Amino acid sequence: MAPVTLSHRRTHNLLLISKLLSLRDSASPLTLLLDSLEQPATPLIQEYLRRAKLSKAHVTLIAFETLKQPEGVDAFVSARRKSAGDIFKEVGAAYQPAAATNPSRRHLIIIDSINPLLNSKRADPGFHLPSFLSSFLAPTSPSAPKAGASLVVTYHQDVPETPPQNPYSPAPLSVLTYLATSIITLHSFAHILAQKAARDRSLAAPVFGLDEEQDGVLLGRSDKLVGTRTAEGIVLELEHRRKSGRGVLEWYLLPPESRYSPQQVKEVVTLLDDNPLYNPPTEPDRDAGDEEPAIDQGDGPGEGGRILYDMGEEDDFDEEEDEI
Amino acid sequence: MPSQPPLPPLLTPYLSTFPQSSLTLVTSILDATGNWLVLRFLHAALSTSASSNTAFGAEGLHNGTKKKVVFVSFVRSWEFWRTEAKRLGLDLARLADKQQFAFIDGLSELFYTPQAAHATPGVSPAGLGSTPRAILPLRSQPGAVPGRLPAPASTTEGGSTATPGQAELGIARKLHLYGRGTAALDALEKDIVSVIDQQRASMAEDEELLLIVDQPDLLLAATGPSMGIGATEMAEWHVHATVLTLAADSPLIHNASTSGGHPAPPIETEHAAFTIGLAHRARSVLQLRNLETGAARDVSGVLRISRGGGWSTGEEDGLEEKDVLYFIQRDGGVRVFGRGES
Amino acid sequence: MSFRKRNIGLSSGADRATVPNASLRPAPESIPGIRPSPDDGRPTTSTGTPSLDNLLAGHAGLPLGKLLLVEENGTTDFAGALLRYYAAEGVVQEQKVHVVGVPEQWGRSLPGLIGSAESLDEKRSDKRKDERMKIAWRYERLGEFGATIAGSRAPTTTGEQDPTAPQTPAFCHAFDLTKRLAHPSITNMSFIPLAPSKESPFHSVLKRLQTAISSSAPNTIHRIVIPSLLNPTMYPPDICQPEHVLQFFHSLKALMSAHATRATAMITFPLSLFPRSSGLVRWVELLSDGVIELCPFPHSADALGTSGAATSQEEPPQGMLKAHRLPVLHERGGGSDQNVGQDWAFILSRRRFEIKPFSLPPAEGDKEAQDAPAPNGMPNKSDLEF
Repeated sequence: MAPVTLSHRRTHNLLLISKLLSLRDSASPLTLLLDSLEQPATPLIQEYLRRAKLSKAHVTLIAFETLKQPEGVDAFVSARRKSAGDIFKEVGAAYQPAAATNPSRRHLIIIDSINPLLNSKRADPGFHLPSFLSSFLAPTSPSAPKAGASLVVTYHQDVPETPPQNPYSPAPLSVLTYLATSIITLHSFAHILAQKAARDRSLAAPVFGLDEEQDGVLLGRSDKLVGTRTAEGIVLELEHRRKSGRGVLEWYLLPPESRYSPQQVKEVVTLLDDNPLYNPPTEPDRDAGDEEPAIDQGDGPGEGGRILYDMGEEDDFDEEEDEI
Repeated sequence: MPSQPPLPPLLTPYLSTFPQSSLTLVTSILDATGNWLVLRFLHAALSTSASSNTAFGAEGLHNGTKKKVVFVSFVRSWEFWRTEAKRLGLDLARLADKQQFAFIDGLSELFYTPQAAHATPGVSPAGLGSTPRAILPLRSQPGAVPGRLPAPASTTEGGSTATPGQAELGIARKLHLYGRGTAALDALEKDIVSVIDQQRASMAEDEELLLIVDQPDLLLAATGPSMGIGATEMAEWHVHATVLTLAADSPLIHNASTSGGHPAPPIETEHAAFTIGLAHRARSVLQLRNLETGAARDVSGVLRISRGGGWSTGEEDGLEEKDVLYFIQRDGGVRVFGRGES
Repeated sequence: MSFRKRNIGLSSGADRATVPNASLRPAPESIPGIRPSPDDGRPTTSTGTPSLDNLLAGHAGLPLGKLLLVEENGTTDFAGALLRYYAAEGVVQEQKVHVVGVPEQWGRSLPGLIGSAESLDEKRSDKRKDERMKIAWRYERLGEFGATIAGSRAPTTTGEQDPTAPQTPAFCHAFDLTKRLAHPSITNMSFIPLAPSKESPFHSVLKRLQTAISSSAPNTIHRIVIPSLLNPTMYPPDICQPEHVLQFFHSLKALMSAHATRATAMITFPLSLFPRSSGLVRWVELLSDGVIELCPFPHSADALGTSGAATSQEEPPQGMLKAHRLPVLHERGGGSDQNVGQDWAFILSRRRFEIKPFSLPPAEGDKEAQDAPAPNGMPNKSDLEF
């Protein structure tokens, strides 16, 4: 029974991530990428760009941090010292010609990091985060192209937020996670492995970089991980809200770029559970789908201790016992 | 153990390769300071003496591209940098003469302009080279009013200017912060950019320009939100910078989260946001810290070289991450070595 | 490991000569109270406390142009004693002493002069000889610690110039806290009040200091004394805003860099009001050239004295001292000085403020530990080498 469940989950969830990353069917109008210095979102953005190129989507980058137009970006909008309104106008202007020639072309808008916009002292009092974001998704002006855009927004979790003007209004991150249709929290695969190894031995999970709270340390020590070169890649922790309102939680592994051809159409992302480093194949069948459920250790806000539980052999066994 | 060349071999790859519009961050703490590393950046960029490079097998890294440097220091004097660079065999005053190098003084008159500064000729500034050197020909800026009174009270808007008469030997410009908010910040930036432009004007095709900014975080700390200056506005400066030095002391980095319901003071939140935000943009982050095991007599500290958030996966040259130990010798020489080596 | 010995040997003269100290001007020999650093020849002046001079990273004094921050935990005022020695030394050396933020009475509380520091040391070591047999051998060497350095350093570098020679004016003096300083130049001290101002209250202070330094004769050495900075009984409430404090420190640093051979500064700072864990204090420290923290023991010194651990002959330490940052050394990268990271204890007595290596007293009744030398904190010969 269990293998069936796992393969079912595999089929569904791989299809889901494939749809999300390739912007198919407007599966997620607003995707929030929660990254940190320990695992920046850059490789995932690269993957978005690669797929956009394959599907010939139009890509706009709203750059608060990036200085140089990256390869694969069609319109580069520097947001430096611009008000939210100006940014919106510029994005519209940059997309206009592309939309005119091919209105059905998919449109991907990437905001390289939303933090500067949230913390700016220069922010105009009229700035309203939800309307800013939704203005890209559902253009109000009739002249605007009809094809829905997908917005991918990076938020650095480790950059502290300035205290809100209004102490009763929700924190920007809460607003973002509430609005987002998909939230992808990024983890370093090596760190996930190290934490799992500690957990398996009932040890306290190791912390890296800023979490070490060590004087002078911003980034985690890396040479410790030199031996685990195979542990390259990034772990995506996905929380997706379906149109029906149901939620999906899954952990994936995105292998490093060097592992596949830029033209590869076949899905490169795998389930984390399917990775032999994370889930070493033991005696066949015994623990197959029943290895430690992926437990979120509370990395992402508002997700502490949520368990991704799937039916395993153990459950079936108990049922049968009861029946006897 | 033999002493090492001015550029320790372990560090050379990190000191001399700067892809276009990349940012390198140097972070230091109270008792593991980064001036020696800044000096190595200067040396790597400016030392043209073929001997110092070829002799140690680093000639390939220079690759023939000459570099010009604009160096802004907010907490240390021109005199300090000049003296310490000389210990490395780098004559900054001469390089300033040749327009290879321009020093922007963010210490002397940033917040307070001494009114009687030139009342005692020959005494102040103490110790500057006795032979008068040609001052960089300062083109009068379009916006700057020559001979403007240095009294801050007379300015209403944010603005700053270099008073040509005050330009001391080797100092291209002195920064002044007048007023508040982004206007004041913009004026400072304009001053820096004008020096950059001046350098660019005389630049050959194959030359690169490096902007090194030493501790701009001081400016953020000493102004802060109450003066309308925040991490986001400061971080916009990195557009020009190649190398930035910042403080990464625990009290400035780890106090920012609201602990126990008490919001952290702005100075801590802003500093952490500034530093961590820049680390997200940096290609590499060079972090200096103490030895965990306490002070040792042949180790000054630990240098951790990490890829920052701005490191792109597609980069050909690896930027290997590593933790190394360093030791500052009394003669100013530096030895950099791996753990277990000596 | 051989490189270290070669470079940091005590035989300073030869190898230092090769160091290209192009801009380090020879100290103005004519100015009393100024002598070249044994480390690199830069001019230094005494803090008025010999063992503090010796702590300062091999310079055997506070290099000119440098600012020393003395922080203190708790409610005691040991830092105040250090500051008074510093001010008194300035008065005796006929330097121009500027005191910020306190009324003139402060100047009347300076300790009385009792001679040169060396004369006190000589007296003490005479007394020592008599007590020699009574003192446990390990304490004897500890006691001589300060003297060893002072004695060995100054002559090696200045060569023919022997500080104890009768003709040479003393570099550092000894003072008695129970007496009051009476010196002709004491009236020459200037007291700079904090004037209420539209801008920063520090603005007028900077202006006064700036004017005083730039209008004085080139060979006048200035000493800037700031007792208990930000103490709310002396300073207005909004002064602890970063834009006031940090801009003041920055401007002070600028002022001292501009007059790098003409001024020193010592500032005491109450940590019980402004803890080291705060970002503001960290910036104050980052802007200082030297940072010393005093951590007085919470219990009274008498209690420790009767514990039997410290011998009755040796005064028990009154607190710990931490050197977080030392002038010049840390500007260059730091860390290699043996004084850094070492645990220090301090003892304030009537006639001296002594800083010496800290060793935990053995637990009471622990016979074995009392007989055995302390495992750490004991300076052996190599420790004392610089």
